[in-house]
Amino acid sequence: MRKIIKNSYLLISVFMLLILAACGNDTTTTDGNDSEAEKTDGPVSAKIGVISYLTGPGAAYGEAITNGFNLALEEINEKGEVKIELDIQDSAGKQEQALSVAQKLMSSDDIVAILGPTLSTEMNVVGPEADMNGIPIMGTSTTAAGIPQIGEYVFRNSLPESLAIPAALEKAVEKFDAKSVAILYGNDDLFTKSGFDTMKAVAEDMGLDIVTIETFQKGQSDYNALLTKIKDLNPDLILASALYNEGAVIMDQARKMGIEVPFIGGNGFNSPQVIEIAGPASEGLIVATPWFGDKEDPKVQEFVGKYEAKYGKKPDQFAAQAYDALYIMAEGLKNAGEADRDALRDALAEIKDLDGVLGKFSFDEEGDVVMDPTVLVIKDGKFQLFE
Amino acid sequence: MLLEQLINGITLGSIYAIVALGFTLVFGVLGIINMAHGEIFMFGAFIGVIVTSVMGLPLWVAFIAAIAVTAVLGYMLERIALRPLRGKQGVSHLAPLISTIGVSILLENLSHHLFGAGNQPFRNAFAEIQIQIGSITIYLVQILIFVISVALMLALSYWLSKTKAGKALRATAENLETASLLGVNTKRTITTTVIIASVMGGIAGILVGMAFNSVNPQMGLSMGLKGLAIIILGGMGNVKGAMAGGLLLGIAETLIVAYGDSGYRDAVAFITIIFILLLRPQGLFGKNTAESGR
Amino acid sequence: MLGELLNPYHLQIVSFVLINIILGISIYITLSSGQLSLGNAGFMGIGAYTSALLTINFEVPIILGIILGALVAGIFGILIGIPALRLSGVYLAIATLGFGEVMRVIFVNWESVTQGAIGLSGVPHLGREVFKTLTAIGFDPEILGLKNNQFIYLIVVSILLLINIFIVWFFVRQNKSRVGRAFAAIKMDEKAAESMGIDITYYKVLSFTQGALLAGFAGALYAHVMAYISPADFAYHRAIEILIFSVFGGSEVIWGAIFGAAFMTIMPEALRFISEYRYMIYGAILILMMAFRPQGIIDVSLLQWFKKIIKFRKGTDHGTGIKKRH
Repeated sequence: MRKIIKNSYLLISVFMLLILAACGNDTTTTDGNDSEAEKTDGPVSAKIGVISYLTGPGAAYGEAITNGFNLALEEINEKGEVKIELDIQDSAGKQEQALSVAQKLMSSDDIVAILGPTLSTEMNVVGPEADMNGIPIMGTSTTAAGIPQIGEYVFRNSLPESLAIPAALEKAVEKFDAKSVAILYGNDDLFTKSGFDTMKAVAEDMGLDIVTIETFQKGQSDYNALLTKIKDLNPDLILASALYNEGAVIMDQARKMGIEVPFIGGNGFNSPQVIEIAGPASEGLIVATPWFGDKEDPKVQEFVGKYEAKYGKKPDQFAAQAYDALYIMAEGLKNAGEADRDALRDALAEIKDLDGVLGKFSFDEEGDVVMDPTVLVIKDGKFQLFE
Repeated sequence: MLLEQLINGITLGSIYAIVALGFTLVFGVLGIINMAHGEIFMFGAFIGVIVTSVMGLPLWVAFIAAIAVTAVLGYMLERIALRPLRGKQGVSHLAPLISTIGVSILLENLSHHLFGAGNQPFRNAFAEIQIQIGSITIYLVQILIFVISVALMLALSYWLSKTKAGKALRATAENLETASLLGVNTKRTITTTVIIASVMGGIAGILVGMAFNSVNPQMGLSMGLKGLAIIILGGMGNVKGAMAGGLLLGIAETLIVAYGDSGYRDAVAFITIIFILLLRPQGLFGKNTAESGR
Repeated sequence: MLGELLNPYHLQIVSFVLINIILGISIYITLSSGQLSLGNAGFMGIGAYTSALLTINFEVPIILGIILGALVAGIFGILIGIPALRLSGVYLAIATLGFGEVMRVIFVNWESVTQGAIGLSGVPHLGREVFKTLTAIGFDPEILGLKNNQFIYLIVVSILLLINIFIVWFFVRQNKSRVGRAFAAIKMDEKAAESMGIDITYYKVLSFTQGALLAGFAGALYAHVMAYISPADFAYHRAIEILIFSVFGGSEVIWGAIFGAAFMTIMPEALRFISEYRYMIYGAILILMMAFRPQGIIDVSLLQWFKKIIKFRKGTDHGTGIKKRH
C-alpha cells in the first residue's frame, strides 16, 4: 500500500512538471498574436524576433547585444516613423536551441524578420532554414566567412574579419616596417579560427614571413610555453586571433616575459575589457573595428551617453552593432511600407549609406557589409586612433 | 630556450601536482573520483581574485579566505553529495562519480552567475617579483609554486604515514567497517579528508591566479580533467605518484608546444590516460595488484 | 487542418527528442552490462563526421552515409571495447571520457578533413533531400495543406519515429532474449556470471559496441537534421548530457532512458523562463537523484506498478476484477 502511495506521488509530481512545462509553452507562443490588430494605416508596425546568447559562458555578448536593441527600440518607437516590437529569445549559444527558437519565431506569422543569432555557428544552422522559409535574418555579431552567402534572405551588419584584419595589418606593417610575424589563434572556436584563416591569407599576400603558427584553447590559462617559443623566434609583429578573454591574458603573459612587439587582433579582441584585464600590458594592441566610442561624432557621443546612463557601462562593439542593426531594420520597414517579409528583404537589400553610430552603412549584393573600418591602438590605457 | 621551457613545464606541472594531490587523497580513502575537484579549485582562484583585486586586501588574507571557502565547499560536498550514498543498499559504485559530476556542473554554472563569464585579472605586486639569471627570467611565484607543491606532498606523506589521524585515515581507506569497529570515527575521518583535499584545490587555485593572471569559470573543467589524467598516470591514491605524474604531464605539455604542434597539447593528457589504463592500470608508480584497474 | 496542427517548432523539438532517445538508449545499453561509458559523445562525433564527410565529398546517398557512420562508430566501439575489458567501474568511465576528448581534439586539429572549429556546413539535410526528390516527381505538399517547412519537418519526424520504434522494439526483444539475460547477469556479478558459463568477453564487447553503434547512428542523424556540425557539438558537455538522460530517467530499464531523453529535451524548451539556471538544475538533479533515487525516475517496480494498474483497469472493465491488497 505504501508503495502505491509513494509511486503515485512520484507520478503526480512528474505530471505536474509536465503540465507546468505545457503551460510555460502556451504562454510563450500565444503572446505572439496581440499585435495583429494593428494593421491600420498610420506607421508600419512590425514584430521582429531576436535570437540572442543570453545564458551560458558567452552571455556577456548577448547582454550587450540586447541592450543595444532595446536602446534603439525606444528611440525608434519614440520617433514614430515605424512601430517595432521585439520578441527576444535565448539560444544559450547552442545550435539546437537557436534552431528551435528560430522555428518558433518563423512559424509565428506576424514576425517579419529575425535579428541574431549571436554566434556564427548558430547562424550556420539557422540561416539556411530562414532562407528557405523566406524570412529576412540579420546577424549583428556573426563575422565568420560565408555567412551572407548562405542565401538571399541572410544579411549581416557586423564587419567581417576579411575587411577588418587587412586594414589593421596593412597600417601596422607600414608603420613598423615589419617583415616577420608570428600567428596565434584559438583553434577550438569558429570565430577565432575563421579570423586566423584571414590573417594567414593576408600575411601571405603581403609577403610577410610567418615564423610560426601556434594554437591555444578556450579557457586555457598557461600560455608561457608558446610565448617562450615565439620570443625565441623574435617576430616583428604578433597576429593574435583571439577573443578578448584569452587575448588579454596572452598579452599579459607576453609582456611579463619581455615580448614588446605590437599585437594585432581581430574583431573579437576589440573590447575595453582587454584594458581592464591586462592593464598596462595591453599597450600596443592594434585592432580594426567599425566601432570607436571616442569618435568626435555627436551621434556616437549621444549613443554612448544614453547607453551609459541606462546600463551603467560603456557600450562595446556588440552593443553598437546591435543598435545600428535595429535602425537598419527600421529603415527597411519604412521603405517597404508594409510589414511583409519579402518586401522587407527587398528594401533591406537596397539600403545605401545609412548613417549609424558605426558610420555609413550599405549592403553589397550578397547582403554583406560595405564599410570602412577604423584602426585603433591601445595607448596610455585607452583605445586611440592608430596613424 | 630549453631551460626556459623546462621552468614553464615545472611550474605548470607543480600546479597540476597540487590539484592531483587533492584528487588522490579522496580516491585513496573513499575510492571515489571527485569530479567536482576542479570546480572547487576554480572557486579558490576566484576567492583569491575577489580578496586581492576587488577588495584590495593583502595576499595572506586571500589565502585564508580561499582556504576557508574551499573548506566549507568540501564539507558541503561530503555532506550533500557523498554521505547520503555511503552504506546505502543497492547504490552502484558509479553513483558517487555521477553525483560529483552533478556538483561540478552546479558549481561551474553558479560561478558564472556569481563572478561573470569572463577572465578576472589577478593583480598582486607579489606576482611581479622576478629574478634574472642570464637571459632567463624566473618569477618568485614560480619558485613558490614548486616549493608549495613539494611541501604539500611531503606533509601529506608524513601525515598519512606517521600521525594518528593519518593512520586512522589509512585504516578507513583499507576497510570502513573494520576501522569503525576499532574505534576510528570514520565519519569524521572521511569529512576531514574531503575538506583537506578541497583546501589543497583552493590553494592551487590562488597559485594559478598569481602565476598566469587568469581566472575564469571554465578553468575548473580543464584542470579537473588534467588532474584525473595525472592520478591515473601516477597511480590512484599514490601521493608521490601524483607529484611525479603532475610534473611529467606539465613538462610533456610544455615540450609538445615548444617542439611539436600546440594543437595537440590537450590530447597528451587523455592519450596518456588511455594508454596507461590499458597497459599499466596501476599507474607508473603503483604496486601491481590483481585488483588494480578493477 | 493538418497544416494548423503541425507547428514546425514543435516538430523540430520532437525530432531532437527522437535523436536524444537514441543517445539515451546508447548509454543504457552499455550500462545494462554494468559498464559506464562516457565516450558516447565521441562515438556520436565519429558517426556524424563520417556520414557528413561521405555525403559532402563523395555524394554518397544519405541513407548509406548514416549506415556507414554508425558502422564506423561501431568498429571504433570494438577497438575500444576489447582493451577496455580490462577496466571496470570508474576506470572505464575515465578511459572513455579520455577517448571522447581525444576525438574532439582530433576533430579540431585535423583541419584538412574536418575544417577544424569552422565545422562542416552544407551537410545534406534529411528532410530537404527527401522533399527535393518528392517535388522532382511532381509531389506538392499543398495537397496535404502543408507549407514547405512543415512538410520537411514532418518527413524528418516520421523517419526518426520509425527508426525509434524499430530500435526500441529491437532492444526490448533483446532484453528478453539470452543476450539481455547475459547482460543482466554480468551487471549483477561478473564473477558469478563467468562461473555460470557466460562468455563475459563476448557479451561485454557486444554491449559496448552496440552502445557505440547507436551513438554513431544518432550522431549521423544529428548531422543530417542540423545540416551543420562542429567539434564543439561532441565535447564533454554532450557526454554529460547523455549521461543525464539515463541517470534521470532510469538506468535499469530501457523506458527510463527514453523518458529521460524526452523529458530533458522538452524541459529546457518549456521552461524557458528559468533557462538561465538550466545547468544548475541539471547539476542539482544529478546530486538529488543519486541521493534519493539512484535508479532513476522509472525503475522496475514502477513499471510493474503501471502494469498492475492497467491490468486492474482492464479487470474492472470485464467486471471480474478482484481487488488486490498490497
